[in-house]
Amino acid sequence: MVGLSEGEKRFIRGGIAQDLRTDGRQRLHYRPISVETGVIPQANGSARVRLGATDVIVSIKAELGKPHPLQPDKGKVAIFIDCSPTAAPMFEGRGGEELSTELSFALQRCLLGGRSGAGAGIDLSSLVIVEGKVCWDLYIDGLVVSSDGNLLDALAAAIKVALSNTGIPKVTVNLGASPNDQPDVDVSDEEFLQFDTSGVPVVVTLTKVSRHYIVDATSEEESQMSSAVSISVNRHGHICGLTKRGGAGLDPSVILDMISVAKHVGEQLMSLLDSEIAAAEASAEDQ
Amino acid sequence: MATNPSTYALSQSSDSKQRLQQRRRLFQETEWTRSDGRSFHQCRPAFLRTGAANAASGSAYAEFGATKVIVSVFGPRESKKAMMYSGTGRLNCNVSYTTFSTPVRGQGSDHKEYSSMLHKALEGAIILETFPKTTVDVFALVLESGGGDLPVIVTCASLALADAGIMMYDLVASVSVSCFGRNLVIDPTSEEEACQDGTLMITCMPARNEVTQLMLTGEWTTAKINEAMELCLDACSKLAEIMRSCLKEAASGSS
Amino acid sequence: MTTMLRELRLSLNQTQRVRLQSALQRLQDMASLASAVTVVADTIPVNHEDSILKGHGTSDLNGEVVATLCGVVERVNKLVYVRAQRARYKPEVGDIIVGRVIEIAPKRWRLEINFSQDAVLMLSSMNLPDGIQRRRTAVDELNMRSIFEENDVICAEVRGFQHDGSLHLQARSQKYGKLERGMLLTVPAYLVKRRKQHFHHLENYGVDLILGCNGFIWVGEHVNSNGENDMMVDQENREGLVNKSEVGQATYEVQEQITPLEIRKHVCRVANSVRLLCALGFSLTVEVIVDTVEASISSNTDIKDILAAEFYVQTAEREVQRRVSLTRRKG
Repeated sequence: MVGLSEGEKRFIRGGIAQDLRTDGRQRLHYRPISVETGVIPQANGSARVRLGATDVIVSIKAELGKPHPLQPDKGKVAIFIDCSPTAAPMFEGRGGEELSTELSFALQRCLLGGRSGAGAGIDLSSLVIVEGKVCWDLYIDGLVVSSDGNLLDALAAAIKVALSNTGIPKVTVNLGASPNDQPDVDVSDEEFLQFDTSGVPVVVTLTKVSRHYIVDATSEEESQMSSAVSISVNRHGHICGLTKRGGAGLDPSVILDMISVAKHVGEQLMSLLDSEIAAAEASAEDQ
Repeated sequence: MATNPSTYALSQSSDSKQRLQQRRRLFQETEWTRSDGRSFHQCRPAFLRTGAANAASGSAYAEFGATKVIVSVFGPRESKKAMMYSGTGRLNCNVSYTTFSTPVRGQGSDHKEYSSMLHKALEGAIILETFPKTTVDVFALVLESGGGDLPVIVTCASLALADAGIMMYDLVASVSVSCFGRNLVIDPTSEEEACQDGTLMITCMPARNEVTQLMLTGEWTTAKINEAMELCLDACSKLAEIMRSCLKEAASGSS
Repeated sequence: MTTMLRELRLSLNQTQRVRLQSALQRLQDMASLASAVTVVADTIPVNHEDSILKGHGTSDLNGEVVATLCGVVERVNKLVYVRAQRARYKPEVGDIIVGRVIEIAPKRWRLEINFSQDAVLMLSSMNLPDGIQRRRTAVDELNMRSIFEENDVICAEVRGFQHDGSLHLQARSQKYGKLERGMLLTVPAYLVKRRKQHFHHLENYGVDLILGCNGFIWVGEHVNSNGENDMMVDQENREGLVNKSEVGQATYEVQEQITPLEIRKHVCRVANSVRLLCALGFSLTVEVIVDTVEASISSNTDIKDILAAEFYVQTAEREVQRRVSLTRRKG
């Protein structure tokens, strides 16, 4: 990422302080979001989200697998993010690895809930087919096509939209003669069950620059941050996950304030995404 | 809402092995219809578009049936200081697959052999002397792998280089031919590739009638090679026409 | 629509899409380039009896002249060459450019200028801060960082290529030098045409606009050639502004001169207009930029909405009107 001169940094900071950022936005304003569904036809569900110049694609594949022995009544979900060199030449080879792992872990934290499974955005027990034997493995793959800051929010939004676009094939189970047999599973090619995404949270990243926080930072603004807190908020206004980036210390009261700001912004983002999802579904039905 | 997924992985089940053997037997016969209805000597319809990635100097997107590739070109940019001084430019190629590109979900690995083959295919066409001391980076990303990946990657990369304004002697078009017993089948899908007896891939510069890269596997008689090469070169020149019209459209579009 | 713009990032509704498409179609029709467009390896028709000079972007194949670039064929007397439409920046002597310092080397600074190689600004091509014309001493060399440091944005002029192939700049005049109090935008270089004037002081708005020929555009608060801005001129007490070179490692906070909100609004408006015109692929001239800013003010468009769908379509339509009236005046 290109460095900025002192003069430019001062200009950015001054703008944030005066609630007028370099592209004219207010501090708590998102860039225009554009959403497309079904961009990867061979996947169970997919979506592409553009947030200004940030462009991400998420694809969801469902495969049959065996549940974890310690959690026989739950399916499995794995999230992998890949930063492609198309976004920036520095992502070639191992260059983007650190960023990719950081994003993958942050998203897993937001969507998968606690150890017991409580508070998960995706209901893992809905993915089980035969308890202890067969379950659905959900692979969520994210691809960063172009990066201009705020990758986490864009990826989380893309995951939410992709999940709404996902159809899990219907399964009929023929249990074997003895309980130790591997059950015969017949996967339908025609019937699909829509994934329930009402529980999926959105992620709001608040970037702190001097005394103020901004939402949806561009990569220039991100270079100025002292710290950033990504808060995952669900439909009920509850917090589903929290990640802090950046080494600067934060006052606890600031963190609580950020959480309440994130809740407020998250509500708006959630309704925006819901309407985009509905619009995408409507246009898909027309076709 | 979701369209039919091509497979869900019932890995290594007897069912899929049976199907594979069935197909193999089918391909040994003299007359059979291809899954997408094409004749043996018919290529997939090509959809090409430039300007797919904004951050790059030049980019292109290609869709040949189920194979979708996006290539972005960066540069010419300053070479790193570690490189020795060179009077000609450097070309750096990288091919990577997304994790969702194959029906069976695999790790998005860097296909090193594809990267070096892409390099050899493009090297002969680019006029490296026009950008000394600098490097041109070509990054290819396979979004969906539906067979005949490398030819599509090479074609798309050549389009992206033209879009980036890199001087080239000619466009590079590429096509591959699979052989099944007596039959030669052009532009195979991944299904057909899995059971092929041999393959011949050619990348060439049609206007100059020069072959920049050639790859052959399997056992071929000389006659078959001649036939296959003719098929390929003919297909390449037709493909070059399509590429040319795509570039012309893009060029007249911008004022 | 697919070929005209490089991947539209906005979501337009149906009516907007239709309006945009018709506006772009009209612009395309008005630009009469179809005949001369050439693609790589196309044969360029030449009269073989004349001795033709093969210029940039051409090559010889079996006696025929073929193009090695995609672009437009230009003929000037006996010279035939191909001009790439989305060409990279090509430096010419006297070009006014904006660059960013990436490295400080002995007696010189290396600047990134959106070209395939980096440019060099020699210490001897710079005016010293004290303004005296003298020989550069060893102390000056050590204090280079006090003049420009890494990541600084600098405005300079192209001096020329040296025999070792490197590109040299000079910044001797008062109007060149470090740019602060504003922001730098990167646009494709071919959108900035060479004109007589590249420094523009938009007096109505108190904004400085520098259109670098290399595609780096500076938009910022207006600063006089003395390096003062309006606020400083008014301020009687100058002690608030601390010069870095005088203090070195300041242990107390430098009082930051914050750009006043009114001027900042204008700066953001101008910057967004530049971004909008760049997305539409229109050439950047100060007239078009000022037109766009005025249109946004008169239509009560919010600064951030300049980049939104509605104003986007309106700007395309306005450009159609402008070109139509231009051709009417000519014809």
